[in-house]
Amino acid sequence: MIQVDGLSKRYGSRAVLSDVTFQALPGRVTGFLGPNGAGKSSTLRILLGLDRPAAGSALIDGRPYRSLRHPLRTVGSMLDGSGAHRSRTARDHLAWVASSNGIPHRRVSEVLDQVGLADSGRTRVGRFSLGMGQRLGLAAALLGEPAALVLDEPVNGLDPEGIRWIRGLLRGHADAGGTVLLSSHLMSEVAEIADDLVVITAGRIVAAGSLADVTAGYATLEDAFFGLTDGRQGAAR
Amino acid sequence: MSLWNPFGSELRKTATLPAAWAGVLVALLGSAAITALNALTVRGAVAAGTPERLADTSPFETGFAAMPIIGVVGAVVIGVVVIGSEYTADRAESGGARQIATTLAATPHRPTLFIAKALIVLVFVAMTALVTIPGNIALARAIIGGAGIETVTPAEAVTRSLSTALYWALMGLIALSITTLTRSGVIPLVVLIANSSIVSFSLLLTNLTPLAHWLPDMAGRKLFGFPSEYVVQGGLDPVPGAMVMGGWALVLMVVAGIVFTRRDA
Amino acid sequence: MTLLTCVSSEITKLRTLPLAVLAAVGTVLIGAVITAALAANAVDQGAPAGATAVLQAVPFAQVGIILLGILPAAHEHAGSQFRTTLVAVPNRGLLATGKTLAALIALTVTAALTVGVSLATAAIAHHLSSVPLPARGAEPWALAGAAVYLSLIGMLAHVVALLVRHLVPALVTMLALVLVVPPLLAGVTEHARWLPDRAGSLLYLPGADTALTPGTGALVLVGWVLVIGAAAVAAFITRDA
Repeated sequence: MIQVDGLSKRYGSRAVLSDVTFQALPGRVTGFLGPNGAGKSSTLRILLGLDRPAAGSALIDGRPYRSLRHPLRTVGSMLDGSGAHRSRTARDHLAWVASSNGIPHRRVSEVLDQVGLADSGRTRVGRFSLGMGQRLGLAAALLGEPAALVLDEPVNGLDPEGIRWIRGLLRGHADAGGTVLLSSHLMSEVAEIADDLVVITAGRIVAAGSLADVTAGYATLEDAFFGLTDGRQGAAR
Repeated sequence: MSLWNPFGSELRKTATLPAAWAGVLVALLGSAAITALNALTVRGAVAAGTPERLADTSPFETGFAAMPIIGVVGAVVIGVVVIGSEYTADRAESGGARQIATTLAATPHRPTLFIAKALIVLVFVAMTALVTIPGNIALARAIIGGAGIETVTPAEAVTRSLSTALYWALMGLIALSITTLTRSGVIPLVVLIANSSIVSFSLLLTNLTPLAHWLPDMAGRKLFGFPSEYVVQGGLDPVPGAMVMGGWALVLMVVAGIVFTRRDA
Repeated sequence: MTLLTCVSSEITKLRTLPLAVLAAVGTVLIGAVITAALAANAVDQGAPAGATAVLQAVPFAQVGIILLGILPAAHEHAGSQFRTTLVAVPNRGLLATGKTLAALIALTVTAALTVGVSLATAAIAHHLSSVPLPARGAEPWALAGAAVYLSLIGMLAHVVALLVRHLVPALVTMLALVLVVPPLLAGVTEHARWLPDRAGSLLYLPGADTALTPGTGALVLVGWVLVIGAAAVAAFITRDA
């Protein structure tokens, strides 16, 4: 379970996050929505221990990310594409990630199969297409068989087959009891797959709850999105 | 395609590239620091009455001692980053996200683009030379004042200054060409900076074969005009040396230009 | 998350990075080739060269080992791999330690190989020419000192890269600091002996300076590494990703 409480962050004089509070519960897919520059990536970066908040906390099963002994075995994350160096091969990239958290080497082949990159394992990452890079990032997230998945725009660059595959993967992960926190712009995807929704604009949470609750009174998720974020747009970006 | 637009855009691009200014500053501040130290030593020795300990007390020589070498480092950095910055990956994934794609979309005629980049290197090196060379000499003169005995005539001073600027310009172009071929600045930086230090592979080669004197950085050595007691003997005289070095720069530029034009982005 | 797993993944990163392998192999090759050239030259003139040729090649081999030292820290920032690393090992103190240990291992192995292969090359040059190898004096210590020197210069490059974070600035800084500036300063002031490469050179050229001994010279070089290293680790731990 992921618990974010009263998170605040400033860059210089600009307030990037103001009192952000929400939860992502196990067994459910939580969609994290917001316009560009709303603070989604900032929130996720703090959750994953990359940045420090000015105030508040972001905990995974009650503990901050930096205190986890084998973080990749608890939380699998994908923030920005492959996250790999361009001159390594996919296999070598996954190899060092696995060894850093004591994950057995056989997992490298298993996740490459799982994401459909089995044939591209020995290709340099610099030669990957956008979709292949995304899949590699997902492979790294899945390496440690974590209970929680935190994904930023995972569908970006995937073809229809890939989108359907991810939908199945995330749904299956939640149904098996895992936690999924998924930030996305693709309304149609989020509507299909999310159980709960968190909407953020200009650094503040404007709605949080089940899909049904948040979209109550609106015809579609897209209408709800614009209805909730309208007038709060113009976040500094 | 005219040269004017690409030249203007490349100038703007390089002027807003911190790394290019870093090269300028390395040349300027690095040489100023060592010149100041040098000049203070000279002044101190003259004041203490022991000028024989020094090679000479000429303000020009003092200002000129370290500057040529440090300037080479600056020129190499400029030559490397003008083209190297096109190939640094913005994101490691999704091939084609490098700046070269944008540049070629704006200026698809590659020979023009390459020539524009070469001109930019020359502009930046000239700018560096314009400030660094007179600046160092003035600094040395200011610190030493009348205490030193000038052994260099004004005509010599001008010749040596221009020749040094020429050496820097040619090294900048050579750095540009090599980096265009390798698409990464690492190897050219290592090789060219090492070669301008005591760990010079070219200098070592001259011990083994006199042909090494025809290598570009060796051929142009005499352009700095250091008094002959301090320079390794052998090799080409300044004018033939400059021509050989210029020839190398031209050949490398032509090769790099052809490769740049013909290969994939 | 133990230090052992962290070091092991850092070593995996290095051995699967083509440029790092190239730098290591390049260092050994530079040492060997330059030793061969110097030894052949000396032998042509009938003079025994042996370990002297190896020691003269050390400054050249520096070039490769500096690049090798910079890569562990700098390659993370070419692209978004640094984020991946921080997510895998969020404890930055542990990460800095693991990276430094991995760098140390890679550097000492490369340095030892460089000196060893170069020595073998010199021996071969002698063997081929039938000029006898000079009698061994204090040379074994100088050769060991050369390997230590190369490792320490590589470590200096590592902490500079840890601080500066990007490959090109770190490379230019190290090359200027170790190759370009020392000879220029040495002509101007005797205090140039405190520069890292000047002080460290006592390790393989014991008589080169009047004020420093090999031991004190090594301490000065280690001092440089520790001071810059402290700043680098502090910055590493507190900076945003």
